[in-house]
Amino acid sequence: MRKVLATVLACVMMVSLVACGESAPAASTDNGSTAPAASTENTQVAADEKVDLEMWCIATESDSNRHSYEAAIADVTAAHPEVNFTWEAIENQAYKTKIKAAVAADEMPDIFFTWSCAFLGDFVEAGRVYCLDEAYEGFKSELPESMMGNSTYDGKHYGVPLTMNIVGLFANMEILKSVGYDAVPGTYEEFIACCDKLLENGIIPFGCAGKETWCVTEYLESVIEKSCGAQTLGDIFLGKATWNNADVAGAVDTFQSLVTNGYFDPDGIALTNDEVKANFMAGKYAFYMNGTWNCADFAGNDEFKDKVAVSEFPVINADKATLGQLIGGPSDTLAVAASSPNAALAAQFTFELGRQICHYGYLDGCGLPAWTPYGDTSTVNALTQTVAEICANANAYVLFGDTAMNADAANTYLSYVDQVYGCAIDGAGFVEGLTNDIG
Amino acid sequence: MKKKVTNGLNVFAFLLPALLLFVGVLIAPIILSGYYSFFDWNGFGAKTFIGISNYKELFTSNAIGFLKALRNSLLLAFLSVFIQLPMSLGLALILGRNIKGERGFLSVYFMPVLISTVVIGQLWLKIYNPSYGILNVTLTKLGLESLTRTWLGTKETALWACFVPTLWQYVGYHMLLLYAGVKSVSPELREAAKIDGATNGQINRYIVIPGIKPIIRVSVIFAITGSLKSFDLIYVLTNGGPLHATEVPSTLMINMLFLRNRYGMGSTIAVMLIILCFAFALLINKIFKEDK
Repeated sequence: MRKVLATVLACVMMVSLVACGESAPAASTDNGSTAPAASTENTQVAADEKVDLEMWCIATESDSNRHSYEAAIADVTAAHPEVNFTWEAIENQAYKTKIKAAVAADEMPDIFFTWSCAFLGDFVEAGRVYCLDEAYEGFKSELPESMMGNSTYDGKHYGVPLTMNIVGLFANMEILKSVGYDAVPGTYEEFIACCDKLLENGIIPFGCAGKETWCVTEYLESVIEKSCGAQTLGDIFLGKATWNNADVAGAVDTFQSLVTNGYFDPDGIALTNDEVKANFMAGKYAFYMNGTWNCADFAGNDEFKDKVAVSEFPVINADKATLGQLIGGPSDTLAVAASSPNAALAAQFTFELGRQICHYGYLDGCGLPAWTPYGDTSTVNALTQTVAEICANANAYVLFGDTAMNADAANTYLSYVDQVYGCAIDGAGFVEGLTNDIG
Repeated sequence: MKKKVTNGLNVFAFLLPALLLFVGVLIAPIILSGYYSFFDWNGFGAKTFIGISNYKELFTSNAIGFLKALRNSLLLAFLSVFIQLPMSLGLALILGRNIKGERGFLSVYFMPVLISTVVIGQLWLKIYNPSYGILNVTLTKLGLESLTRTWLGTKETALWACFVPTLWQYVGYHMLLLYAGVKSVSPELREAAKIDGATNGQINRYIVIPGIKPIIRVSVIFAITGSLKSFDLIYVLTNGGPLHATEVPSTLMINMLFLRNRYGMGSTIAVMLIILCFAFALLINKIFKEDK
């Protein structure tokens, strides 16, 4: 009797295991096929029926964009009582892993944050992203086509841009004044003279987080662009030209000379961007080159906001580069999963959400608006207004290298940037290595 | 005969749930990893069959640096066996002598094993911080400023700086395993040896250590396979940097899978890790058997 009972129990356990397996959706291993777009029938929602929409993004509690997301979500959910909206914010680096795993398993949320160009491009190519052309028709007057370029593939729109940002040269004016400068030097020669003077006075000119290579690229790409010109760098990033370029090698050597001259904090190589940013705000460095999304944090700090200024990196080679050639552009984007059962509604919702995130993000100083601004924008902080002036005079944008290139090429590129920063290779080694590995 | 069949069915029925779990959670992913390792695949697009190209590239490409990562792991394994385990054994032998406060010491030494690796990583990040870290501050206070370093940011020191907390964290783990073994050695044998005039050192050498050889073997297997699989602490401390100086196969695998979108290559590294872990486990078993 005991044996019979035990056998029955074992069978029950086994059946329950199988049942558990059935309840979870199996990850698809057939990735060759394109996921079908949601049919119109599926998206027809009865007025009294609540539709679930889920979003993943990177606006964590400590992210400067957090407030703009919260405010935008409050606005848009109020306008859509038929939607039961839930959202989750994941830390930047972890998010990259999570969203890729979700795309691989075709278990994406309805709406997801993404970076434009190659990052989103891989998902689009795999047929995992819903085409937004139809929904975009209703927002064309507010969202210029030029801002959609980085998320347009084969002439179709797949992303809703939020804010746009550039790399800015942030300066602690209190420190600069202490060594006799009332403004950020306008020419490269003056800029180097200023760095030398800072060093003479025991002040570290640049703070850079070596532990996060993208922070090094903020410096390196600016130096390359202001040495070789935006066209050259842009063509290389987009694969239209080879890395085998003597001007690029020379520019990399110029950047490395900044490192070997002791302009960078030697401790920075082991620090994260948050730590370096905190050091800059605490007055450890005179300059900090990073994305203009930092304007919100700098302007929001009562002690620091009057000390900080933002400007453009000076031109190094006036024969090839000019002021107004900038690193950056609209990259932060929202997209809709092709597998969403309510993709058409999610697309509409995403545009509205994108517009509001852009609106509040601009007011908060998290970046410049990709959408046409509306309402009273006089409260935008002075730093962001300066960035707006810089952008108003811009004549070319080159998107961040690690966003413009596909994941494999981008990481190869970052690996070589690491080696340049660590002085393991010089400019010639940099272009030779990248030519061999990427092209 | 009928009873035998019924018994066999019963055994099968009892084992089936565990077997299904084992196959589903362990065997199937290994087989799938092996399958994906023959493809060029970004994880969500179309797969292209490329045979053993991923394996060839893994061992020949300087850009991937697998051999360097493997060398780092093997160095950690060597240190684990020849530094960490002797320390653990020493502690286990001392605590096994029924010393005063034995329980308290056990808890203290075991505590790092209980703490989350991420927390330990953050703790050691603070210790190594070049500006305010206790290591540099202490060296400076002792007048040894010339010895201060950016411990995790310099190629020459980063790997060793990662090894210290890794070894430190698991000393307590191996100590507990060995301590259980030491305690299982018959007290009569110890007493007999004492009556014969053996010192504590001689008792440990000729009675306790030979008696706990199976546990030492298990510890050696855990130490070596654990070193080959090491990931979390290194990921928190350096993420494989600077200049890939602290790269280990697991960090490389994550890099391939989730940063470079090279699922085929990531799976290849996973398969190599599995093969290496099995190979080392078999080798250690063989060595201990021959020794017997």
